Amino acid sequence: METQALVTLVPWTFIAQILNLFIQMYLIKRFLFKPINEVLEKRRALADKEIKDARSAKEEADGLKVQYETSIADAREEAAAIVSSAQKEAQARADELVKSAQAQVAGIKAKAEADIAQERKKAINEVKDEIGGLAMDIAGKVVEKEIHEDDHRKLIDEFIKNVGEAS
Amino acid sequence: MNFDISGAKIFFRIPTGIPILGDFLISETLVVSWIVMAIITGLCIFLTRNLKVENITKRQAVAEMIVETANNFVRNNTGGNKFDKLIPFIAALFGTSIVSNLISLVGLRSPTADLSTEAAWAIVVFIMITANKIKASGFGGYLKGFTTPIFIMTPFNILSEIATPISMACRHFGNILSGVVINGLIYAALAVASSALLGLLPGAVGRVLSQVPILDVGVPAILSVYFDWFSGAMQAFIFTMLTIMYIANAAEG
Repeated sequence: METQALVTLVPWTFIAQILNLFIQMYLIKRFLFKPINEVLEKRRALADKEIKDARSAKEEADGLKVQYETSIADAREEAAAIVSSAQKEAQARADELVKSAQAQVAGIKAKAEADIAQERKKAINEVKDEIGGLAMDIAGKVVEKEIHEDDHRKLIDEFIKNVGEAS
Repeated sequence: MNFDISGAKIFFRIPTGIPILGDFLISETLVVSWIVMAIITGLCIFLTRNLKVENITKRQAVAEMIVETANNFVRNNTGGNKFDKLIPFIAALFGTSIVSNLISLVGLRSPTADLSTEAAWAIVVFIMITANKIKASGFGGYLKGFTTPIFIMTPFNILSEIATPISMACRHFGNILSGVVINGLIYAALAVASSALLGLLPGAVGRVLSQVPILDVGVPAILSVYFDWFSGAMQAFIFTMLTIMYIANAAEG
């Protein structure tokens, strides 16, 4: 079989090899670099997206946390306000109760005093009448003359009055 | 025993009638080149089947590693993303070169054992270097660059410019050709040695066995570790490295 020289430049082979090199470049680009670079790019995009998602989720969680904390603080404040208002109300009611009890007591006391005073007056009057009668009897016996009760009423009363003042 | 080394076989000759270019030769070089291209392209298609973003297969990992290595190689040596367009070219150059060099292991003749192949690559690289130089400093600046540092140096500068592709082509070609020559010599020498050794056997047995080059099995494989594997990978790397270095330097002006 015919062979070419060991060291030679064959023009058409030379041209064909240049073309082969560029065809090979295109094939490698088309079948290796393009799909692989696409996949790498996709993976990078995916990783970026995941980082972004995580960041936004964290921000959201932070926002929720702040919201939660404020609402908790609000609730606590409200509870404190409720408790304090209840305390105030209870205090007021207790004060009112005590006051009304005191007033009632004072009324009872005043009534009792009035009763006592009336009873005393009544007793004194009874005693006065009794003493008046007695005095009239005694005086009648002393003067042997019946003292007309109506006539001497004034005198008797004055006497009793004096007695009462003296007693 | 005669031993001769010839160039690539010519399978078919297509007469073109064009004066300087001569006939189109369907030679071993071209046929094996096409085989090499088919191997590389087939490998690319095989590696990039069923690409996934997550849970990748080993095949995809290898493909990604190749792409990343090529990207990093070009970016590290040019310092930036300026030459990202060149990455497939560099990859094609390296891939074609290394597969062409190593295909001699299966008994085919390397396309790189033909100076036409390397000359073609070197011319492409040379045109790229020149284009980048002109792009970096303008056509006037490019021409002016030959007169530095003094006008007297102009012929030497032109010579060194032309020497670039020639040295690149010849370095690669010489290394691969030397591998071919030495492998041929070793095969021939071992065939002679085995026939001499087995010829010592008496009678018809010795005569038959001495025709079988028994030493050619196994022994050349050891030597091919250097001449095919090491040299082949090394030359592919050197050629690619020089290409990217020259182009990066050219772009710096």
